[in-house]
Amino acid sequence: MNRLILAAAALAALTLGAQAQSYKIATEGSYPPYNFTDDSGKLGGYDVDVGTEMCKRAGVECSFIVNDWDSIIPNLLAGNYDAIMDDMSITDERKKTIAFTDPYFPPDPSTFLTLADKKVDYANIKGMKLGAQKATIQANYLESNLKDGNTILTYDTQDQEMADLNAGNLDIIFLDGSVVGEAVSASGGKLKADGPEILIGDGVGVGMRQTDTELTKKFNTALQSMKDDGTLDGLITKYFPDKKGGPFYKK
Amino acid sequence: MLVDILPQGLKDFLGQDLVFWLGYISNGKHLNWYASVQYTLAAMVLGAAIALVVGLVAAAARSNGPLPLRWFAAAYINIVRGVPDVLFFLFFPLAFEQAVEWVYSFQVCTPETLALNAGRWPPCDAANISFSSFGYLILASVSLGLVYGAFVASVIAGALRAVPAGQLEAARAYGMTRMQVLRRVHIRQMWVYALPGIANVWMSIVKATSLLSLLQILDFVAWAQRLGAANFSRAAGLVHDDWRWRYYFVLLVFYILVTFVSEKIFGAIGRRLRRGMPLAEQNAT
Repeated sequence: MNRLILAAAALAALTLGAQAQSYKIATEGSYPPYNFTDDSGKLGGYDVDVGTEMCKRAGVECSFIVNDWDSIIPNLLAGNYDAIMDDMSITDERKKTIAFTDPYFPPDPSTFLTLADKKVDYANIKGMKLGAQKATIQANYLESNLKDGNTILTYDTQDQEMADLNAGNLDIIFLDGSVVGEAVSASGGKLKADGPEILIGDGVGVGMRQTDTELTKKFNTALQSMKDDGTLDGLITKYFPDKKGGPFYKK
Repeated sequence: MLVDILPQGLKDFLGQDLVFWLGYISNGKHLNWYASVQYTLAAMVLGAAIALVVGLVAAAARSNGPLPLRWFAAAYINIVRGVPDVLFFLFFPLAFEQAVEWVYSFQVCTPETLALNAGRWPPCDAANISFSSFGYLILASVSLGLVYGAFVASVIAGALRAVPAGQLEAARAYGMTRMQVLRRVHIRQMWVYALPGIANVWMSIVKATSLLSLLQILDFVAWAQRLGAANFSRAAGLVHDDWRWRYYFVLLVFYILVTFVSEKIFGAIGRRLRRGMPLAEQNAT
């Protein structure tokens, strides 16, 4: 009997220990409105709010850390942190190296951003300077579809390509449709969203190591409950007021 | 915000615009920026201290050490001086981390876990080590110390040769051993001749600290880049254009200030070291 109590106590201690385990989630901190460093110096944005709530519901402690986009997958594999939440689209190519949770943002058509007075024939783009952020689905798309006759430039961060577009060093940027809205309205009429919307990727998921199946399951359950009770939809309308087609997840 | 504590009278005097900008440059993210100077300064001081020790040891080993040690010191000085500091900065912390993981893997990996990770790094998941920013700061300082230690070594080697031979012969004549001559006379007098060269190396170390952000340390430079980047998201705060040049300008002023102050300090040290050394005083004038 004593032994049984001892075993139960040990088990309880073990599960308590597991619950108190703390995970690190990496984000870029410079991809608004998904993630950014706000004026008070704290990380904020859609990724951060979703991640915080997801961890709370999964019963794990999480903290966000900043990591550059182009090294974000290698550093996950190296074990410097346990998850990626950085508007990372779920693609077959990425699935070869990392795992994803269920999506927490619906598939988002990519679109073109250009100067307001610029006329572009999108069916036949030739002789243009095209920009995208390094190692993104958009950069991949440009490489495989629009490489002939155009110059493709890739950037470490999104604000750098915006700066180059504003300065006239680029003709067109190709980027996530959900990011374009605010960029256009903040430009005061200088920029416009333009051309066709192109759907690439299967929505945005939390990037995980393929070996961490338990944690992935926990996060999936937490995300599902956030989808069911409308929390996720609330966060989407909060950060992406322009996004059409809701409700996205609530039943 | 910090400006909130200003008395109303002063705020009226300054005007709304100025109070707003004062508030902006004293908000949380700017305070983070100012606080990040500590990493830059820590890397300067720690890097310089390591460079000095490494340089002194290498120079002494090359001029006075036993033969294999002399070769080793000469090889270190000549090879490391020829490597760009940026490359060493990227190479050393990574190589060090993987070397530690490799050694560690012999203790913690089992054949099964090794097979699971075959062809990948780390050898097994348990052998993975990740350094904190603080760890990288130490590694960055060590890298600086190793690169610039080679320069310090050649400065000191030159200074050791500049000490008048008569001084050393006199010390030998008093019956001091080789080590005693080195410690009591040679190195003591060497500093006067080494100081201008060491001051130069210090300036290089100061400037090389701007590379810290390469190791993902959120230092003075990295924050300037972040704060200057155009912001178009209202949720992230004040919407503004690309302001990077303004922040880079502050960096320029910061580095010029540091080098200016260092020059003054080295001047004062030099004057103090030359006191009572007629030979060196003659050379200096």
